[in-house]
Amino acid sequence: MAGRLIGILAAGLALLAAPAAAQDHARAAWVTLHSKAMEGNLEGNTADRTALVVTPPGYDEHPGKRYPVVYFLHGYWATPQMYEDMAKFEDAVQGAAEAGNEVILVMPDGYSKLKGGFYSSSPTVGNYEAFVAEDLVAWVDANYRTIARREARGLSGHSMGGYGTMRLGMKYPGVFSSLYAMSSCCLSPMAMTAETATRIEGMSQEDIAKADFGGLAQLSTLATWSPDPTAPPNYIDTGLTDDGKIDPLVNAKLAANAILAMIPQHLPALKAMNAIGLEAGDKDFLLAQNVAMHEELARYGVAHEWGTYDGDHGNRIAARIRTELLPFFGRHLDHGN
Amino acid sequence: MLNKALAALAALAALAVAPAAAQNITAPPPPVPAGITVEAVTVHGASLEGNLEGNSADREAMVVLPPSYGKEPTRHYPVVYYLHGFAIDGRNFYNFMHVPEAVAHNAAAGREFIVVVPDTLTRMGGSMYSSSVTTGDFRKFIAEDLVRYIDSHYRTIPTREGRGLAGHSMGGYGTWVIGMSYPQVFDSIWAQSACCVSPRTETVESATAMAAVPHDKVDGSGFGMRAGLASAVAWAPNPQNPPYFVDFPIKANEDGTRAVDPLVIAKWANNSPLAMVASHVGALRSFDAIGADVGDKDGLIRDDTLIHEELEQFGIAHDWAVYEGTHVDKIAQRFDQVVLPFFARHLDMGR
Repeated sequence: MAGRLIGILAAGLALLAAPAAAQDHARAAWVTLHSKAMEGNLEGNTADRTALVVTPPGYDEHPGKRYPVVYFLHGYWATPQMYEDMAKFEDAVQGAAEAGNEVILVMPDGYSKLKGGFYSSSPTVGNYEAFVAEDLVAWVDANYRTIARREARGLSGHSMGGYGTMRLGMKYPGVFSSLYAMSSCCLSPMAMTAETATRIEGMSQEDIAKADFGGLAQLSTLATWSPDPTAPPNYIDTGLTDDGKIDPLVNAKLAANAILAMIPQHLPALKAMNAIGLEAGDKDFLLAQNVAMHEELARYGVAHEWGTYDGDHGNRIAARIRTELLPFFGRHLDHGN
Repeated sequence: MLNKALAALAALAALAVAPAAAQNITAPPPPVPAGITVEAVTVHGASLEGNLEGNSADREAMVVLPPSYGKEPTRHYPVVYYLHGFAIDGRNFYNFMHVPEAVAHNAAAGREFIVVVPDTLTRMGGSMYSSSVTTGDFRKFIAEDLVRYIDSHYRTIPTREGRGLAGHSMGGYGTWVIGMSYPQVFDSIWAQSACCVSPRTETVESATAMAAVPHDKVDGSGFGMRAGLASAVAWAPNPQNPPYFVDFPIKANEDGTRAVDPLVIAKWANNSPLAMVASHVGALRSFDAIGADVGDKDGLIRDDTLIHEELEQFGIAHDWAVYEGTHVDKIAQRFDQVVLPFFARHLDMGR
């Protein structure tokens, strides 16, 4: 532990003082890449996306060596910086490397005007799914010494990032070979009610700017899954009709993006994974739908690891990345040896 | 033309009045104009292996080659994949559509294509071109297995720019869902009289009736019921629930009453082109061109108008036409005179 701590300090110093020098310890760097898929979204979310890239110790000293990549998708209401502050990924990657599991870890920016793009494809919010699975992966492969094939790419994430892990895993089985989803959100179909739609339609831009988590999350998911490019300023369709009912098509659109509804059409993709890991805290407010996803995969005969642990939605993320997520990818990714 | 009209009437009659008879529509072999070569090939679909309904993984495909194909041994051709509807197989759809004449007419006007009509008939009367462990992964079969086979056995233009996807009714539905799922494979798409566009819903009564159809009586259950069962097994498979291997959209409440199962309806919504558009805008915009049409006396006109309006709302450019006709009486003519010329304007024609 002392060694690890010193490692962090050394890595921090390296960042500050000598980014081009030899790399004895895992190193975190913030990079910016252009995503063509993100261009033209109506919320004005930037197409120049930041990402945290953590290279393992020895990356500079072994210029002929290539590494598998673990992609990590952060959660809603958070920037990647907040996840880095909480999880200290360079420490986690350092620890994994010391255990013989040398990986590059990449965390892209999934934040949006409404605090999260849900790694989906929406003309309002942007095409985050193609940003991650196409533009980001191509950029990382072009700019780092990766093992540039699916067997060496793992996808993971927490909460909204767990949702993104399952969604992109199902839609891009040719890109990723193993998935680890922590405390995933948005698994069960959501449904708009007239009450909620009325509340959302009554929100001013000022209300939106100061809304709390519960006040904003449904607006954000509507922007993602029920976009309407003809309806400024929010470019969403709440489904609220003139007679105070909800257009069933809006609920169908929300349902069409729920992981539990997507699974049966994507079983070949899920079965093509080398490994899938799912977990949630036993006091997690999303436990029930994560259990439902585990049971659904079991019912469909999709092999996966599943575990609950003593914790809530967010209090063990940093520890679980170290004790579960990275070792999982250590077991299942192609390390090129 | 008379022949065509009679065939259309026969098809309609089969749809309307013969629920207990043999269910699948047939049509006599079409004329094959001089110079046109037709090959019936068998394509193995790795994506269809192991399906729980026991549908064959070896599928017939009718391959219609244009007149110059045999004379110009180095020339490569664009391919239009043409998907059939419900309760008909690929060969009878090819017959009904007079595909060889359509290829000949277009070739005479300088538009030479290979047209491929794959067979996807299943035990329930249609695959719905979906990815079901019960039915088979027919989306992947079309977009990967079939395309790979055709590109490796014929002188195609083996790139996205050389491939069009079209279909009628369930095949129009297939055009939408395969197009949205595999935009990197096809350059342009055209849906004729597409079915199943809006999310399908049920009542307790209709869902109960669906779940009560004996598995060996599907063929006699009527066109609508059979189409519902085909949709159910395609969209909400359950490998643990024989003999249908399906989750019917009905569940028992704790008090013993029954209710429509919202998760099954959600799974169906995930297969509705109308519900899919909003999440596939990038894919749809990536097409060189999109077209859709429907007859003004077609019962599907409302549904097809809805997807036209949805595409408009999202600013997705597309050709759209309502013509004088029913669900079937003009579709062969439209394929010849509208759909193939559309692809000629947009595909890489190789010269």
